[in-house]
Amino acid sequence: MKKRGRGMACMWYPIGFTVLANPSAATVKVNTDGTATLLTGTVETGQGALTVLGQIAAETLGLSTDDVHVVSGDTDVTPMDTGAIASRTTYVTGNAIVKAAEKAREILFEAAAPLLNVKPNQLEARDKRIQVLGFPSSSIPISDVVQHSESVVGNPAIGSASYNPPTLAMDPETGQGKPFNTYVYATQIADVEVDDETGEVEILKIVAVHDCGTPINPMLVEGQIQGGISMGVGFALQEEILFEEGRQINPNLTNYIMPTSLDMPELEVGLVDNYDPTGPFGAKGAGEPTAVPTAAAIMNAIYDAVGVRITSLPATAERVMMAILEKQDSEKTAATG
Amino acid sequence: MLIELRVNGELRSADVPPETTLLKMLREHLDLPGTKLGCDVGDCGTCTVIVDGVSVNSCLLLAGRAKGSEVTTIEGLANSNTLHPLQQKFEEYGALQCGFCGPGMLMSAKNLLDNNPTPTVYEVRDALAGNLCRCTGYTKIIEAVVDVSRDMKAESDA
Repeated sequence: MKKRGRGMACMWYPIGFTVLANPSAATVKVNTDGTATLLTGTVETGQGALTVLGQIAAETLGLSTDDVHVVSGDTDVTPMDTGAIASRTTYVTGNAIVKAAEKAREILFEAAAPLLNVKPNQLEARDKRIQVLGFPSSSIPISDVVQHSESVVGNPAIGSASYNPPTLAMDPETGQGKPFNTYVYATQIADVEVDDETGEVEILKIVAVHDCGTPINPMLVEGQIQGGISMGVGFALQEEILFEEGRQINPNLTNYIMPTSLDMPELEVGLVDNYDPTGPFGAKGAGEPTAVPTAAAIMNAIYDAVGVRITSLPATAERVMMAILEKQDSEKTAATG
Repeated sequence: MLIELRVNGELRSADVPPETTLLKMLREHLDLPGTKLGCDVGDCGTCTVIVDGVSVNSCLLLAGRAKGSEVTTIEGLANSNTLHPLQQKFEEYGALQCGFCGPGMLMSAKNLLDNNPTPTVYEVRDALAGNLCRCTGYTKIIEAVVDVSRDMKAESDA
């Protein structure tokens, strides 16, 4: 008989390692055509990092994302970055980009201030213009300010900066400290159906709610969460590297089984709109944490459905069936015992 | 052996060794590298092309078997001005991440809509089940395909 169950799992995940140096550097230059060029050492792996980093530069400079040309991952020209790892890109590289873009912006403020008869700290960059705070009518196009700064003031608008989450040694006696600069949180809930005669588990739906600070690009965060859940689903029910005498016996996708479009349940993703004052525009991160609670939620749902705890993944039909049979045996023994 | 076939509406030919797969012929002899080589044993689906109205893993089909066939590859979807509606929706939805499954995913989706313009969500999932994706969880891909079919229906109803 097919039995339904619901399980939940919560997690936290650390962002911005502080025990050892973990820097990112960035260079931002603003061009006379009103565009900007961002140099970053990190790379795009499909997660949309370069879009998000371009958005961060654009927001700081009052430009649109289309105006920012991102040059990445070329050690000939781009500054050092610890890398697209550890769910750190938006947070660490993003912070470096904010600082670099602010330096370039400061040069533009200094050039524009005398033209607008105000002090540099009374200016803001918005809608592709440098304007007096709150007075859009008193403004100059950024392209003109760049031109003026270059050929009259003699100070081209360029900024380089780096960000390193403040390195803090752990207490040598207690081993305690603050190993990361910030943390993200999430809850995922899984609805499953377990066949108690075959052990087969079908996931009906997963709801995932994540706090990753202020999402810079909600669509890309959703994509990260959906992808992370698919990895969690594979981890929970299908994926297993099998060894025999030290050799992997399932080294290809014929027998290393990963989720297909038919294995993925309906997903519902929610973002908790939070603000982290240490992140770029309030953002933290969203990569690895997306896959953390999925398998635990599914295992709890299996327990809710058929009352067995699966403690060795993946929860294949064989493993779930064995656990159900063991439970039935022990119940029988207890009854007759 | 000389193989002549029609690729994306154009008559093409190449002299290839008999063991050449259609995938290898497309990529290495016809200069069409949009179709990707993934697992090379028919598991991942990124080499999917449409041959005479059927979506196939081109890594498993000998070029000789495709002689005289009508083949559509990912290069046949967009022209220099506009993307195919599927490509447009994939972009809108952020349906691809690393993108390596993209060419195969799009060809499977196109073949589905060619044969069944108003598929159910299950039929979309079923049609894409031979195309593995490690990044996206398939959700946005499925939504994009469903949206294209909705648009097609709205157009034909109008």
